[in-house]
Amino acid sequence: MIDLAELSDAFTILSSSWSAWIFVIPGLLLGLFFGSMPGISITMAMAIFLPMTLYMDFLPAIIFLTSIYTGAGFGGSVPAILMNIPGTSSAVATTFDGYPMSRQGRHNEALGIALASSVIGTLVSYILLMFLIEPVSGIVLKMGPLELFFVAIWGLMLLGSLAGESIARGLLAGTFGLLLGTVGMNSAGYIRGTMDIPWLLDGVPTIPAMMGLLAASQLLNLVNTKHLIEDEDLRRISMRKITGGFREAFQHKTIIGRGALIGVVIGSIPGVGSSISNLLSYSEARRNAPDGDTFGKGNPKGVIAAESANSSSEGGAMATMLALGIPGGGATAILLAAFAMHNVVGGPSFIANNKDVVYAIIMSNFAQALLLLGVGLGFVYIASYIVRVPMRYLIPSVLVVALFGSYAINGTASGPITLAVFSVIGWGMVRYNYPVAAAVVGLILGNLVEGNLLRTYQISGGELAYALERPGALLILALMVVSFGLSAFSKMRRKRKAGVQMGAS
Amino acid sequence: MTIKYNRRSLLKLTGGTLAAASVASPSILFAQDSYPSRPINVVVPFDTGGYNDRLARAFAPFLSQRLGQPLNIINRGGAGALLGHSYFLQQPDDGYTLLCTSAAPFLPLNVLTQNAPFAVTDFHMMNLPSRDYTMMATSTESGITSIEDVINQLKADPRSLTIGIQPASADLVNLMLLADTVGISRDELRLVTYDGGGPARNAVAGNVVDIALVGGQGFLPLADKIVPLLIFDDAPRDNWGSAIVTEVAPGADFVLGSQRGWGVHASLVEGSPEIYQTILSAVEETSKAPEVIEALSSAQLATDWFGPEVSNRSLLATAAVMEQHLSILQGS
Repeated sequence: MIDLAELSDAFTILSSSWSAWIFVIPGLLLGLFFGSMPGISITMAMAIFLPMTLYMDFLPAIIFLTSIYTGAGFGGSVPAILMNIPGTSSAVATTFDGYPMSRQGRHNEALGIALASSVIGTLVSYILLMFLIEPVSGIVLKMGPLELFFVAIWGLMLLGSLAGESIARGLLAGTFGLLLGTVGMNSAGYIRGTMDIPWLLDGVPTIPAMMGLLAASQLLNLVNTKHLIEDEDLRRISMRKITGGFREAFQHKTIIGRGALIGVVIGSIPGVGSSISNLLSYSEARRNAPDGDTFGKGNPKGVIAAESANSSSEGGAMATMLALGIPGGGATAILLAAFAMHNVVGGPSFIANNKDVVYAIIMSNFAQALLLLGVGLGFVYIASYIVRVPMRYLIPSVLVVALFGSYAINGTASGPITLAVFSVIGWGMVRYNYPVAAAVVGLILGNLVEGNLLRTYQISGGELAYALERPGALLILALMVVSFGLSAFSKMRRKRKAGVQMGAS
Repeated sequence: MTIKYNRRSLLKLTGGTLAAASVASPSILFAQDSYPSRPINVVVPFDTGGYNDRLARAFAPFLSQRLGQPLNIINRGGAGALLGHSYFLQQPDDGYTLLCTSAAPFLPLNVLTQNAPFAVTDFHMMNLPSRDYTMMATSTESGITSIEDVINQLKADPRSLTIGIQPASADLVNLMLLADTVGISRDELRLVTYDGGGPARNAVAGNVVDIALVGGQGFLPLADKIVPLLIFDDAPRDNWGSAIVTEVAPGADFVLGSQRGWGVHASLVEGSPEIYQTILSAVEETSKAPEVIEALSSAQLATDWFGPEVSNRSLLATAAVMEQHLSILQGS
């Protein structure tokens, strides 16, 4: 729980030196810029600026790096909404409804909603973090392979709702994605499907594959259109509509709350993080919404669900890093490196001895989230001019940016080759009405599902009774069943109600 | 709203760029009289954020001062460093490309298990300051308190404990060699395979697996959550206070863990001895400089000077033991 004396010490630390604050806005801007460039990951952006922090004091250094983290977390959703390019795997679910909204001329609202949901998600996650940092750290390490397997399966349930008109095609596309996700060397050291190409040992490069499947295939199908938004009147950039999106986001408190909770919990599990949480949150929002059928066609609730979950994962990842001293992903690994540079070792003893510093870090993140609202507004306003660019300029430029981005990921031809191959696959899938999004979800989850199923088998020796020794796993399973049961029940009731009304009229 | 460029203005633009480029480049092309006359690249065959990346980025500014040229860090991660190592060898051996890598176990692993297009001796390690070791640990909640408990339980029933480990790793070789020496049946051990050292450490700290064998230095942040059981080295390390393998199983063969540091093309040593000497003395001077030692050790990075002879001997010795027990590395 919160220690009030330490909290006031934290205020003292933060208010005593103004030098800590001058890095917030540059950090946010850098994060937004790098985050919105497809292929440049949050980790990369932070790694580039890590050496600079050697010359700063501890707190300014951490505030600078976490500002980049916060900015980049939202930056990824800008290309996802405007161009259907998820710059990172955590923005995949944002494309599902964000991009259709843009195409309908509701890009202003979509960006506003995304920004507001991200900011609220971040705020909620840090508030939760403040209360939960100690209990969360106790649970995180207890997450065994069976628990993670159930989480991954929960994510896979999304396939059903992405299927579109034909369930069979949706499942086929999802299975294709899952199989792609198992290419490479698995956890037990077996090598599958690499065709003797060395870089496939690590699996199909996810980000170029996603960019190819979602973005390039989409753009190739738009060759004959003149503009992203057909109607010229709708191509306006309107600050009023962007802020209108803010209000819309605030109206869906349950979706934001649920997204933030899912984000914090999933984000705190090392190695899982925001790439799963946005999918889970999207899938839950869709199943529980009365207008679930319009998801994927430009429903703002989809954007809210995705963005609140991926941004709140930041708080979860920070909890694990601060409480246990272990990085959940690349970004927190960089933060830990910055800690180490200043002779600070994260972990249980750090929290116990430096509660004031931990609170100061958390509170500076509150401030960052609020400042992101302002800085992000300007950024989004400028970025949305993309919708005015005619398609004959936009398509080649976006393809070039995607190509460079895919090259930048590890500086080899593997990215561009993957992008090209998956653009063709994606185009073919769209052409023959297979949902590309299902394949993307399968690709992201394939490795997680397989690795954890394998480890469950290794630990249990194949005995089903092992599940009984894992109450956490059973709890996750029960939550999943209850959640599905409830939404099926409420759907039935809505149907019956609608039926009664029809009968009455 | 469309922006119109006519052909002439575009031509002017490209012409101007070309002219600017041709004016700028001769200085790079012709000023090669004394090494180093242009920036030097450092290949790190891992992604940003890992140990080698941090080591390279922390050491580079100091090395750059002594060489008088900027150093660029190039991350080429993937396929257990195979991609980065191959890329490094493809660069000219002119001293303008250096390598910062976990030479052991990755170079021998690339060669032995991944059919790499090179030999370990194509690389020359100038200094391998970071020498990790395999450590066997258990959770504080597991009830296991000593290596004797583990050995006795596994002797009675090799399937009684789950063991977190990375496939095809030095840790796996060490486990199997220990099992052979103390008389535990190798084939029946219940291995739980993880994709990296971090996940395996988290699993044992959370008591998800009973014991784990992973690189010991990475356990330091989790020290409160684990009981160290056995260290695979001939002397105690990092004040863990656990048993060491040479006491528990005298005569057991073992391999050192990751040996990380700085390398060049082996062909540079033969082909351009003066350039090699310049780099070597710069690395040596930098490694020994007090301000470097202070900066790096505060970031928990190693900077001890062992020199090329010791470093390469140790790398080749590790490679030899690994080759001898190749079946363990392949038989996953």
